[in-house]
Amino acid sequence: MADVMNVGVNLEAFSQAINAIQALRSSVTRVFDSLKDGMKNKETLEGTEKAFITDFQNNLQSVNRDLNELERLSGLVGRPSESHPLHNSGLLSLDPVQDKTPLYSQLLQAYKWSNKLQYHAGLASNLLNQQSLKRSANQMGASAKRRPKVQPSTLVPHPQYVDDVITRIGRMFPDMSIELFRPNGTSAVLLVSLGKVLKAIVVMRSLFIDRTIVRGFNENIYSEDGKLDIWSKSQYQVFQKVTDHATTALLHYQLPQMPDVVVRSFMTWLRSYIKLFQSPCQRCGRFLQDGLPPTWRDFRTLEAFHDTCRM
Amino acid sequence: MGVTCVCQVPVTEGKSVQQTVDVLHKKLEQLGAVKQGSFCVDCETYHAIGNVTGQPSKLLYVMHNSETPLSCHALFEGGPCLTADGNFDVLMLKLKSHFQNAKAHKVECRGSRYRYCDFLIKVGTVTMSSSGRGITVEVEYCPCVVPGDCWNLMKEFMQTFLGSSVPEWPSVFSTKPEGLYAPADCVDTMNQYLELFNKLRKQQVPGSNVR
Repeated sequence: MADVMNVGVNLEAFSQAINAIQALRSSVTRVFDSLKDGMKNKETLEGTEKAFITDFQNNLQSVNRDLNELERLSGLVGRPSESHPLHNSGLLSLDPVQDKTPLYSQLLQAYKWSNKLQYHAGLASNLLNQQSLKRSANQMGASAKRRPKVQPSTLVPHPQYVDDVITRIGRMFPDMSIELFRPNGTSAVLLVSLGKVLKAIVVMRSLFIDRTIVRGFNENIYSEDGKLDIWSKSQYQVFQKVTDHATTALLHYQLPQMPDVVVRSFMTWLRSYIKLFQSPCQRCGRFLQDGLPPTWRDFRTLEAFHDTCRM
Repeated sequence: MGVTCVCQVPVTEGKSVQQTVDVLHKKLEQLGAVKQGSFCVDCETYHAIGNVTGQPSKLLYVMHNSETPLSCHALFEGGPCLTADGNFDVLMLKLKSHFQNAKAHKVECRGSRYRYCDFLIKVGTVTMSSSGRGITVEVEYCPCVVPGDCWNLMKEFMQTFLGSSVPEWPSVFSTKPEGLYAPADCVDTMNQYLELFNKLRKQQVPGSNVR
């Protein structure tokens, strides 16, 4: 209803404004007409001069009046057009010659399409979220709905914020020490030492975990030139397996809206490896299978399983 | 580098030392262990002389391990131990007036080295003045550094090829602060070998030469 009312007011103002323009034009024409005619029809010089000046003044005054009226009306016309849901493009509906320029109907069609597309994309992302394997799928799902709200704060958090989040997580787990390095630019690299069991290098990209590598407690974490070695894998099969599982965990714990929760869940999961050599498999009850201890930790219960026992 | 446990395996009745060792080798290979060369641990005994009279002379053991071929371990009986360069042996010659080599007490342990996953297994025979005295099995679990953490796991592994003769918790593990295994210099391993050699030395020599 409001829209209809708005349009009504709009139209009235428009017609008044058009009338005002017509009035203005005719008054302006009268000025020039009288100027063009001059004083040729008058007989006495004095009388003609006086009459001509009054006439000219009258004409100018009417022009002035008409112009003021038009300005007043234009103020009225401008405001309602802004409240239209399609903004200025909504004015296209006022075009009386639909057959020649069907812009407005085409525009409505395009809007309908875009709405439908958004709706379907939302449905698809929901479905993909339910069985996501890749973080990219998750991010797209979230971006369909949440991008305008959340992304700006999560994609480029201040390094100080990342530091704070990491320190807070470090304080949560006393048996886990987390050191933060920034070897190249703002991206952080975490060195996580878990008891006397393992050391994990976690490469971050803002607050998203990019990759991780797990090595034994007695293995080198620095390369020969004294920098953190984030590439070479552990020489022990146990930790190679744990690295694989940690990578799986990275893909599992994904929540692009709240990346700090992801880091915390990942660290909680990683912490369950403090009993890597101590806990037997929850299914077969044994310590070793093919020479390896239970290297898998359930994502929810954190229970220990052999890689082949977890199915 | 990891946690190591050295134990003695009794010779199966009715079989020679070599036959028992062969059975162990076969069991390991069936398990999937791969043979990786051989190993050798030896131990020489020195008497400390020139002590204050009345005190029993202390013993000094100088040991070598093929796992650390450039080092030499010297263990004082019931006291400190040190790890030195290989030419420590030459130094001992110069200290002849203080430490006398008891040549007859030289013990050697030789055998094969196997790798299975992250485990290192060494099966050796101990010889003392050219007579075979027994069989040793050394199991090392490389990724772990805390014996208390992985002992159950190691025990389960040893059960798979040793059966009932799985050793008890080695005493060297208990003495460490924080329970951490002494890593690089493998002093704990040498201590276990020394303990075992001393035990074997006290045992009665079997009637016949078992080798």
